[in-house]
Amino acid sequence: MKENRVMRSNILLVVSFVLMIASLYLVFVYVPTEKEMGIVQRIFYLMVPMGWLAILSFHIVFIGSILYLLALSLTMLKRKRLSRCWKVVSYLRKRERKWDTLAYCSAEVGIVCTTLALITGSIWAKPIWGVWWTWSEPRLTATLVLWLIYLAYLMVRSFATEESRGARFAAVVGIIGFIDIPFVILATTLWRGLHPGPIIFAGGLAPPMLLTLLISIAAYTVLYFSLLGRRIGLREVGTEIKKLTHD
Amino acid sequence: MENFGYLLAAYTIVWAVLFGYVLSLIRRQRQLQRQVDSLKATPRKKEGN
Amino acid sequence: MNKSLDKVFAILWKDILSELRTKDVIISVPVFALLVIVIFNFAFEPDRVRLVASGVLWVALTFAGVLGLSRSFAVEKDQGSLEGLMLCPVGRDVIYFGKMLGSLTFILVVAIIVLPIFFILFNLPVFKPELVLIVFLATIGFASVGTLFSAIAVNTKARDIMLPILFFPIMAPVIISAVKATELALAGESWGSFSTWLQVMVAFDIIFLVVSSLVFEFIVEE
Repeated sequence: MKENRVMRSNILLVVSFVLMIASLYLVFVYVPTEKEMGIVQRIFYLMVPMGWLAILSFHIVFIGSILYLLALSLTMLKRKRLSRCWKVVSYLRKRERKWDTLAYCSAEVGIVCTTLALITGSIWAKPIWGVWWTWSEPRLTATLVLWLIYLAYLMVRSFATEESRGARFAAVVGIIGFIDIPFVILATTLWRGLHPGPIIFAGGLAPPMLLTLLISIAAYTVLYFSLLGRRIGLREVGTEIKKLTHD
Repeated sequence: MENFGYLLAAYTIVWAVLFGYVLSLIRRQRQLQRQVDSLKATPRKKEGN
Repeated sequence: MNKSLDKVFAILWKDILSELRTKDVIISVPVFALLVIVIFNFAFEPDRVRLVASGVLWVALTFAGVLGLSRSFAVEKDQGSLEGLMLCPVGRDVIYFGKMLGSLTFILVVAIIVLPIFFILFNLPVFKPELVLIVFLATIGFASVGTLFSAIAVNTKARDIMLPILFFPIMAPVIISAVKATELALAGESWGSFSTWLQVMVAFDIIFLVVSSLVFEFIVEE
């Protein structure tokens, strides 16, 4: 089973490598330079995938957290009452720890992506808007808050007194945080709505740009899943060691 | 070609971080795998009881 | 349903009584809020500070709220009263609502003490019904999520730092809404101008009250 996962991660790594080469070619050779922003606009093809991954991985954190808590609560219920959906219930219960592992590993890879999203966003902002940071762009602010929520998720785990409690606390943070994000986006958009802040794109996307963007997103997404798979595998080996050393 | 520095910086940082992360994962995996193998190799004395 | 309501109020009453007995938190926290306001006045030029009055108020209330929340739960944990409560055949969401109302009452009392002083120090119109509503809605938001997160933070190794780290990012929408709404209300604008912000806070309160009550049991179970 482990070998399957490692093999899958390696295949994904190779696939993502190929896609990366393709995307690099598209970004640096194929796509025409944007009129207003010049060559720096190409950072866009890095920034959007990172932002997308930040959001995708938080979705996975949310799903893992919810399923983990669901599995925990189902452990306490009796078989008879749930005979109808027993298959679903036992599926969830058996994989109780795996949901937590999924959430945790996604949070770790996710915070890396969010950090890169913020960094690329900032590097983009400097030549285009003249500042390293602006509070006027709701998406940037929301990404910062997302980063803080990821941080809270990871910190609550390491500062908890026991691992199992840490997992539960983190799941709660994951759920609350996920529900909070739409509110953050809403509030920051309304907050800055009165002052027309800097916007990312004046017009739409020309077809070659769209293609480049999509390939880039695909490349980084495949890389993300490869990293996620590896991280999960790593964590499972860690759990195995703990089991062996406890005997 | 102005602002090329920014473009270069962005791509370099992202690739360095991602590459570094992949390497660290692989390295930790090997370390832990060695630990697991050595733990499994030692005879388990408790089995006799 | 009535029995649950009784239990909720019983828990609330217990918290109020225990706080009235010691009075330490209810005195120290408003003082802290006041100090924050004073420091802000030192930090900015007088004319500038008037512009950000609304922000100053909410920063003070937020910090005070976090301080009060963490102290209440710390006392509770150290005395083992939460474990005692858990032994009773009481639904975990009932405990949540009881404690949430306790936190709510507490923060409201702090606000009642701090607001008049704030108005005097900033020479602002003393009483406005709009402000009452804004403070009330925001405080419900604070209490709903704050109760949940204090229960978490108190069970971690770094209690004092864990609560702000959890609390501030999640409360960002409420703080933004409260500050903007207060700003508009203080400027004498009509209700309509800040109704959007009120709606944001109402939605936040309802959703997070529900979610927190559902999720609370996972935090307090051993």
